[in-house]
Amino acid sequence: MPPLLRRFLVLCASIFAIVTFNFFLFHVIPGDPIRLIARSQRLSPEQVAKLREAYGLDGSIFSQYLTYLKNLAHGDLGYSFALHENVGDIVGRALVNTLILLTVSTTVVVLLGIAIGVFAGSRQGSKSDSATVVTSLVFWSLPTFWVGMLLVFIFGVWLGGLPISGITTPNAEYQNYFQYIADIARHLILPTLTLALVDIAFFVIITRTSLIEVMSEDYMLTARGKGLSQRTMVWKHATRNALLPVVTASVLYISALVAGAIQVEVVFSWPGMGLLTYNSVLARDYPTLEACFLIISVAVLVANFIADLVYRRLDPRVAVA
Amino acid sequence: MAFDVSTNDESIDVPPSGFSAMLRSIWADRLGRIGLILLVVTAVVAVLGPFVFPFNPADVGADSSTILQPPSADHWLGTDELGRDVFREFLAGARISLFVGIMATLISTVIGAGIGIVAGYFMGPLDTTLMSATDFFLVIPALPLMIAMGAIFGQNLLIIILVIGLLSWPRTARIVRSQTLSLRQRQYVARAKSLGASDARIIRRNVAPHVLQLIVANTILVVAGCILAEATLSFIGLGDPDRISWGSMLHFAFVSGAVGLGAWWYFMPPGLGILVVVLGFTLVGHSFERIANPRLKGE
Amino acid sequence: MSLLDVRDLRVSYGSADGDVHAVDGVSLSIEAGEFVGLAGESGCGKTTMAMAIPQLLPRNARITSGSVTFDGVDLSALDEHAMRAYRWKEISVVFQGALNALNPVQTIGSQIAEPIRVHDSSVTSAQADDRMRELLEAVGIPSRRAHDFPHQFSGGMRQRVMIAMALACRPRLVIADEPITALDVMTQAQIIDLLQSLSDRYNLAMLLISHDLSVLAQTCDRVAVMYAGKMAETGPSQDVFGESSGQVLARHPYTQRLLRAYPNIHRERVFIDGIPGSPPDLSKPQKGCRFQPRCDVALTQCANVAPELVALNDRHFAACHLLDADSSGVQ
Repeated sequence: MPPLLRRFLVLCASIFAIVTFNFFLFHVIPGDPIRLIARSQRLSPEQVAKLREAYGLDGSIFSQYLTYLKNLAHGDLGYSFALHENVGDIVGRALVNTLILLTVSTTVVVLLGIAIGVFAGSRQGSKSDSATVVTSLVFWSLPTFWVGMLLVFIFGVWLGGLPISGITTPNAEYQNYFQYIADIARHLILPTLTLALVDIAFFVIITRTSLIEVMSEDYMLTARGKGLSQRTMVWKHATRNALLPVVTASVLYISALVAGAIQVEVVFSWPGMGLLTYNSVLARDYPTLEACFLIISVAVLVANFIADLVYRRLDPRVAVA
Repeated sequence: MAFDVSTNDESIDVPPSGFSAMLRSIWADRLGRIGLILLVVTAVVAVLGPFVFPFNPADVGADSSTILQPPSADHWLGTDELGRDVFREFLAGARISLFVGIMATLISTVIGAGIGIVAGYFMGPLDTTLMSATDFFLVIPALPLMIAMGAIFGQNLLIIILVIGLLSWPRTARIVRSQTLSLRQRQYVARAKSLGASDARIIRRNVAPHVLQLIVANTILVVAGCILAEATLSFIGLGDPDRISWGSMLHFAFVSGAVGLGAWWYFMPPGLGILVVVLGFTLVGHSFERIANPRLKGE
Repeated sequence: MSLLDVRDLRVSYGSADGDVHAVDGVSLSIEAGEFVGLAGESGCGKTTMAMAIPQLLPRNARITSGSVTFDGVDLSALDEHAMRAYRWKEISVVFQGALNALNPVQTIGSQIAEPIRVHDSSVTSAQADDRMRELLEAVGIPSRRAHDFPHQFSGGMRQRVMIAMALACRPRLVIADEPITALDVMTQAQIIDLLQSLSDRYNLAMLLISHDLSVLAQTCDRVAVMYAGKMAETGPSQDVFGESSGQVLARHPYTQRLLRAYPNIHRERVFIDGIPGSPPDLSKPQKGCRFQPRCDVALTQCANVAPELVALNDRHFAACHLLDADSSGVQ
């Protein structure tokens, strides 16, 4: 079997596993999902009856499971009694906002983290190297949400000037599309800075360690023997080799990234999956919470799959033969 | 320098040294020493602090003039949104944060080390099954799952400890398994087997002592992660409302708008507390890892 | 003037147990177009001495005294920046173990072409590409394989890539460090033939490092034998490795022992570790002749006084007290 196909089948199996896991977590363990929902929402007898039908609660667990799979396959994620809307629609909007935040912040985190890691690693043992390591360990030890709170305090209360909440300015009127983009960009600054301050450390530490190992490889002596400058050696010959373990390790980062994004969205009221998760926890809005967990987990599995594809592109030795 | 010492066997050959020898070598490492100092300070604060300055959650302010007051002679770190003393709350919170972090780590280590040793020792289909489960839990995002479980099972200290502990073991399991696998190939295990020793005995006498050092190094780093996880869960609002941790303090500071009101005395101390204890465990953990793994030496 | 003139070179490695004097007062010269062999057991300092020429020593090594003069310029006095102009352009290296010496994530074509443009910015990338393909064909690799990666080649083919790479900038001196170890015998012979024909074709000077005496005897104009950081014997290949009426011509007892480990230098290949005992620990100060503990013809002064190189004819030198006695006897 081609390795790519194999990986794809593993992805499908994992998604199936997470869907099943989700069913057990929200439908079987609480005993009766309706009671779970009714714990915080006032439901009329008609609503309860409709729900029982929607969840197929009259049948066995197995037939409930089939109903659940059938609903999922139709894109039906249930109904939120807290928000009076179909969960699918709510989650769809939130997902877009989260993807905007994650695309921007991940780009910043990965590029800066690798650059700083290469910089430190190529100066192993120097003052700037140890300062980088210590700084990274300190920032990696900070709770993301607290860094966000500090930035809200500094830029919202103390200095002012940067938006500290939401994705756009409320009631703003835009002359054109660029003003709209610019407004979102301004709102992105502090959330991105928060994620960057904490998460860059992850890539700095891993890239640095990996670069130090690569620098002692024989082919780096060849590069030096060719008369290349230190800069060409580090950036052209060492970095790409050093990136291979970084890509492998970024699988571990994806989970941290999700955790960071949830916290940042809460602190800066960024209307994405994290804020939605938070609000559904506070409102005990279980259908929405369930959908958030499911969508985030599936997205992470897909992200892992993509990281694997990137690895195959970077390392010719594992490229599909 | 040129030769490679990365074969799995090398790291096992480090003799399992005693507790005091381990402390001495961490003390000899500059960053390790800073970490130890941070941990000792935190431990003293968390253990003794609440005795000297007890905190009563019901001791709320008399009226609105007592809430979110800046530091004063009466209240060294000011008051919170209910007019309670932040300094005393901070000391009480230290104890809860550390307690949850350490208890969750113990659960996670027992599960992770158990699965790792069993999978690595027995190999075969048992190993495949256990490692598939491990990989599954390794990739699904831990925080959303913790949030979901916390929201379903309710908010109390035991649930939080269980949720964090039950979801933090996969990395430990992976690391312990690979070490056990390589130990298993070693001669004395084969010899013990040929002498008719039972699997349980071999694991107890020949395998467990050798993975212990690795488990300890890993555990120290897991504590840091568990304390951060507790803080985050509590911040999200899933903390035990009766036992306030640093994370719950930050939750209440956030939802009461203390940040917007500029009440730095309320949200600074718990955050710094978390930083100090997490950094302490991280530094000691890395330092111990460097000692246990000679390959990282000289960095 | 010689192309390369190494004078009284000393190189030490810093280590936790004190400095290791890996090369201790070695001199060697190479003429333009000359093929010189460097022999000796592993750890005798031959690679250190060779890598000191283009200043490619590891970080913890330093040249403590002596000079490396290339075309009239003392390379050991140059800084890293000035040295870069000499590397590959004038002196290139065929490194030991081509698999690890080639970058795994770059195509072999780009690795061969890279130094051409680094050293001559007037070369267009198309010209560099042409030159790279020409080099590949010259070492017997079809140029269509330029886009392949190192792991897609066999060991012998990788060594050919390494050789093509070494010739990229038309250097005047190529240092080949154990270019044939870890290859099978057939491939070894092919690589040696290739090195020889290329050196003739491009009038290259070559310093060939090997512990395989038969290879050196076949290919080199001149050979040098090192022992424990010192030059033991040096001279024309036929003087050092040759025989005359059943008697070896080598004069140093170490060289003689090496040759005896090869019953027939042109047929059998036996590794040279056939001498009882082991080389001295170079982190300790050395008094006397370093080979003395393993030498079966040692004299009393051998334990105390280090022998100097003695001229046996105008090109053949050896460092042994037995030869002092000979020469004093003549005087």
